[in-house]
Amino acid sequence: MNHPKTPRQRARSEAKTPLTPSVITGLNNVSLAPSPTKPTSRPFKGRAPTAPGDLTNPFLATRPKSRPSSPVKRIASAGIPSSDSFRSQTTGGVIRKGGVESRLEVVTHDYVPPPKHEVKRSKSTPAVNRVGADKRDRFITNRESTDIAAVAATLDQLSLNPQPPSPTHAARLAAATGVPVNRRILGYHEAPPAASSSDTTLAQQREFAKPLYAQRPGALSTSTGATTNKTRKIATQPERVLDAPGMVDDFYLNLLSWSCQNAVAVALESSTYIWKADTGSVAQLGECPEGTYVSSVDFSNDGAFLGVGVGNGDVELWDVESGQKLRTMSGHQGQIATLSWHQHILSSGCGDGSIWHHDVRIPRHKVMELLGHTGEVCGLKWRSDGELLASGGNDNVVNIWDGRLGDVGEGARGTAKWVKRNHTAAVKAVAWCPWQPSLLATGGGTNDATINVWNSTTGARIHTLRTPSQITSIQWAVQQKEILTTHGYPTNSVMIHAYPSMERVAEIRDAHDSRVLFSCISPAGDVVCTGAGDENLKFWRIWDVASETTKKKKPPTTRETTGGRVNSTKEGILRIR
Amino acid sequence: MATKQAGKQANKQAITLKGSAVLVTEFFKYAVNTILFQREVYPSDDFHMVKKYGQTVLVTQDLALENYLERILSQMQKWILTGSVNQLVVAIISKDTRIPLERWVFDIMLVEPPAGVEGSEDSNNAPRQPKPEAEIQSEIRAILKQIISMVTYLPVIHEPTVFNILAYTSESADVPVGEWVDTDPLAIEASKSQQVKMRSFSTDVHRIEAMVAYRYEE
Repeated sequence: MNHPKTPRQRARSEAKTPLTPSVITGLNNVSLAPSPTKPTSRPFKGRAPTAPGDLTNPFLATRPKSRPSSPVKRIASAGIPSSDSFRSQTTGGVIRKGGVESRLEVVTHDYVPPPKHEVKRSKSTPAVNRVGADKRDRFITNRESTDIAAVAATLDQLSLNPQPPSPTHAARLAAATGVPVNRRILGYHEAPPAASSSDTTLAQQREFAKPLYAQRPGALSTSTGATTNKTRKIATQPERVLDAPGMVDDFYLNLLSWSCQNAVAVALESSTYIWKADTGSVAQLGECPEGTYVSSVDFSNDGAFLGVGVGNGDVELWDVESGQKLRTMSGHQGQIATLSWHQHILSSGCGDGSIWHHDVRIPRHKVMELLGHTGEVCGLKWRSDGELLASGGNDNVVNIWDGRLGDVGEGARGTAKWVKRNHTAAVKAVAWCPWQPSLLATGGGTNDATINVWNSTTGARIHTLRTPSQITSIQWAVQQKEILTTHGYPTNSVMIHAYPSMERVAEIRDAHDSRVLFSCISPAGDVVCTGAGDENLKFWRIWDVASETTKKKKPPTTRETTGGRVNSTKEGILRIR
Repeated sequence: MATKQAGKQANKQAITLKGSAVLVTEFFKYAVNTILFQREVYPSDDFHMVKKYGQTVLVTQDLALENYLERILSQMQKWILTGSVNQLVVAIISKDTRIPLERWVFDIMLVEPPAGVEGSEDSNNAPRQPKPEAEIQSEIRAILKQIISMVTYLPVIHEPTVFNILAYTSESADVPVGEWVDTDPLAIEASKSQQVKMRSFSTDVHRIEAMVAYRYEE
């Protein structure tokens, strides 16, 4: 019979409505809800055991219907400050009018009680009261007691307008009714500024700083944290570690190159070292001029020459075998962050955004200038057939240039075949696919961290993959359909992605102690060498070169027997210098 | 002689109405900033740390917001001086639905001036000693700390929010035309709100009582 909860709830909220007038009395913003879980300590509740009476009460039955239709009232009833004195009055069952009225100085125009039942209540309550000799009618007496005539009169007048009145209307109303509206709620005419929309520099800074707070995907931060596919197991430990003291921790430089003669060139500050993978011997090739530093190295296609870019804009040509500097090609105004060879053409990307083709055979070495970047060129790669040249810059642009030199004199401007502006950060990682010449993979820096694969014939973007962190270099597997990327903060990882699905095949977390900056692939295509700001070179055996079937396809290396493998003279840490 | 000295000292330490208004306004500035930071109305890196009241307080460095608060608070200070404002409300509203989620209410009350006339001989009769500034500061500190600690039990807001500052003034208050307009109280329905009274602080002239009401639905 007794509906368990809801009627009680209703009854309670019903009992609350009498408090409504006191909204007006006080700070009509103060919202006090009787805690929904705890029953209020109303005496009638305790004293009237005939709670089912609630249901029989016609007013209680109608009230829930009318409530939703009067949101204004609900809001207003929100602001009930039931001071202790007031509560004691209600609990006493009697409210002295004077007491309430004295609290009633404040009538804000905001409060608009619903029109109908307020009136009805004020009229009907006494009637019920008269009828009620019952215990139930305590409720009604209670309601009646709070239903002060003075308040009702005011409310009735105000309630003619069910909409919240405009300020002027309220003022007129107040003037007409003589009700003192002596409190105002004022707000500033403007809305507060939207979050940082006004301050673009701050938003910009936030955008830049965001990657620094990037969460490492995955929970474990073990030093060798690695994930591999079930089908593909890769060694998560480097095969060899070389100490490379003084390696410059600069994203924009390219300080590592691996020749087809199985020699690794690495630049440490102002010196260049050659580490022969076959013998494990280290030789210092030479030093760049005083007061500057080596900013890029690249082996020529036959591995006999090393191009060295220098911070002051010179491009040097070294003979690897004899260790002699053959010539210095100057003319650039900025540092040479990247170099790429195609036969006798050595192309250099400069800090001022220009790319020069140097013909190393002729005295007037500068045969062409490509102007297409507004930022430093930090990624530059010739396609193996020399038809196309891809460049990436600090202006977030990838350019693909026609490699034909033509009969253009010095200063002639080349124009890019394709200009790709999809990256949102510096593009340092650029690589041509060795087994499908039209494919170009590029990777963006910190704010981008995206791998894009382009079709250089159509100019279409074929694949896109977001990675967790800055892409510092990218390599295609020679024999597998896979892409290797190296990453900066926060994962410092080496990742291998399948192509064309772009699924993650493997990841070596924290391959280095700081961001992995450079990578190069062995001529055999099985070992990858990475260099990082932690002054280490690490050699990872990523791919297995299948002995029988793939040997034919293998690029001609000088020593077939070792297969271009790093000679395992000794495991452990060796020193470059 | 002794009373004269005491009186001098009292004069030195006593906070005038003007000083009190400045103090209260300054408190509002830091309180509003703390609320905006703690409730993440603005991104947290908009804020930088400032030493105040012997603790670090986070204050916005978004120029637009700074100016906005400055304009509001300077008007607030005028109202406090004339005694025509009795409440300041920082309402935190849902950006999309415009539903008020939280209301941080600061009641501004005038402390009854002591019955004793200034300069009267019987200093024993005037029980009110000027409140040392250190004590006021520690009270302010307590409120600010309380605002910070509130975060632990206030409901987590998942949606973007905006805020609004309301001033409850008397009818007679001088209102700059066009700058301040009558507004909705942005109240939270009583059935869906919970409220928590916070600490208060007082200067010799004003007493500030703080309270927060928040939307709480089960």
